[in-house]
Amino acid sequence: MRAPAFARLASDRSPFRRALADSATVIVAYLPFGLTLGATLASTRLPAGVAWASSPLLFNGAAQLVAVTLLDGGAGAFLVVAATLVATARMLLYSASLAPYAAEWPRRWRWLGAYLLSDPVYALAIGRFGGPGGGGGARERRVYYLTVGATLFVAWQVLTGAGVLLAGVLPQWLPVDLAAALTLLLLLLPMLTGRAAYAAAAAGGAVALAVTALPLGLGLLVGAAAGITAGVAAEAWRRAPRTDPPEGVRDA
Amino acid sequence: MMRDLLVLVAVAAGMYAMRAAFLVVARPEPPAPLARVLPHVGPAVLGAIVVPALLAPHGAVTLAGTVPALLAAAGAWVLWHRFRSLPIALFGALALALLTTELFR
Repeated sequence: MRAPAFARLASDRSPFRRALADSATVIVAYLPFGLTLGATLASTRLPAGVAWASSPLLFNGAAQLVAVTLLDGGAGAFLVVAATLVATARMLLYSASLAPYAAEWPRRWRWLGAYLLSDPVYALAIGRFGGPGGGGGARERRVYYLTVGATLFVAWQVLTGAGVLLAGVLPQWLPVDLAAALTLLLLLLPMLTGRAAYAAAAAGGAVALAVTALPLGLGLLVGAAAGITAGVAAEAWRRAPRTDPPEGVRDA
Repeated sequence: MMRDLLVLVAVAAGMYAMRAAFLVVARPEPPAPLARVLPHVGPAVLGAIVVPALLAPHGAVTLAGTVPALLAAAGAWVLWHRFRSLPIALFGALALALLTTELFR
């Protein structure tokens, strides 16, 4: 009996096909969020076309919500720009984290890759590049990353556009926030390969939860900083006995 | 209308600068202090996104919001460890969330 098409795609070694299979799952998971975000954009006083234009311009649901909501409330241009950039400052971390894996790509692809960087694209890419085999060589990593990025970018435009058109008729029971959170949880699980990774995730989550009342998504940044610190500390603790063995042991 | 669009373009330019900051000047071997930090960025950032979203779904810990989300997360964890398949784990967890949301409504 032949395996289903989706399973065949997922088990394929081609980075292009693998990227399509991984993207398909994320697109389905983001369906409720994308539709509802589109409907939210359409409910503001901004013309629907301008509100939707935040999708190709920003390609980040949280940034779109912050920017369009503030514009809808009549906030000044500086406040809108500053607030949205603070709320999405994690893009700096994503960029730094992916950079070593993209170093051998031609520069033009890195410029394009930067435009496609978002939460699910980063999570899929770093999960693959940081895993066994490192996602293949530079070309395989480039094909995988750009295919995931382009596929999710196009899908995001379609989903939010459909949400704008379907505003007012979407069912209330759609688990909008939960679907996105569970998707990111499932992209996090393969990264938990040691105590340092568990420490980083646990500390990041605990601190972000403790300071969740901070404005502009600052809680996420504070949590991320705490998580990174915990991960570095756990890794240093793990390595400490090996890097500085007692004299007698070294001479034995 | 044009003013709103221009503000969105300015936001997009700032976001692009952040996205490109390290990616475009990437080096195969980052400086040692940075190399020690980078492996922990993914788990730390995703943990900081996921934990509050599951424990305080609408900004607060509530029985109706937190319990279904936690049960769904536990279900996702179990299904992922059992099948190593993101679609199975995700849709199983969402089904669990829909069922338990009705119970705790």
